[in-house]
Amino acid sequence: MVGIVLVSHSRKVAEGLSEMLAQIGSAEVPVFVAGGAADGRLGTSPDSVAAAIREADRGDGVVIIPDLGSAVLSVKTVLEDIASDRVVLVDAPFVEGSVAAAVTAASGGSLEEVSDAARQARDVPKL
Amino acid sequence: MQLGRPVMSPSSERTVRMPVDLHARPAGEFTKAAARFQATVRLRAGAKEADARSVLMVMALGATAGTDVTITASGADAADAVEALAALLAGVGA
Repeated sequence: MVGIVLVSHSRKVAEGLSEMLAQIGSAEVPVFVAGGAADGRLGTSPDSVAAAIREADRGDGVVIIPDLGSAVLSVKTVLEDIASDRVVLVDAPFVEGSVAAAVTAASGGSLEEVSDAARQARDVPKL
Repeated sequence: MQLGRPVMSPSSERTVRMPVDLHARPAGEFTKAAARFQATVRLRAGAKEADARSVLMVMALGATAGTDVTITASGADAADAVEALAALLAGVGA
C-alpha cells in the first residue's frame, strides 16, 4: 500500500488531518506526520520529514503532501538525499488532496494513481 | 458482423433514496467499494454528477437524506457494481 506523509507547520494540523484520513480513507493506510519545528514551535524540520518517509514506506512508494511555503523546502532538502522515484512530492490542497490520496491508497491505488488523486483535488469544486 | 452480440459493454443503472446525508465517511466507503469493480461508475444527484472513484466529487454532490441518487455503471461487471453500490448507499447510517 502506498504511504502518505503529511508535512505541516503545525503538529496539531498534521495530526488532525491524519485522523481524518484514517476515518475517511482507512486506518490501514500508512500515514505519518512531520509537524512543527524541532523545538515544538510552528515550522517544519527536515529530520522529522525524513523519519516520516522511512516509516510510511512499505515498498509501494510514498506520497508527500506539504501544507505551505517552507514545508516544501524542508521536503526538497530531504529529497536531495533520498533521490528515489518511489518518493513523490505532490502539489495539492493539503486537506482535500490528502483525503483523496488516502482513499485512493486504501483502494489499492498505485503510486501514480495516489499522486494523481491528490493533484486533481485542486480542480474539484467544493460547492 | 455477428448478430446477437452486444456491441457496447454492458451498462446498468439504479436509483437509491439516501437514508442519511452522504457525508465524508460514507463517501469514502462508496469510493473504495467502487474501485473494486472494473466498471466505470458514476453517481448523479440532481444536476450534479460525480466519478465514483473521486471521493471529493462524491462528497461535493451534497446528497442529503431523502435525495434520489442514481448509480450508473458500464463495463463487464456493471450489474454487480450497481447492485453492491446501491446496497451500500441504502445501508448508510444503518
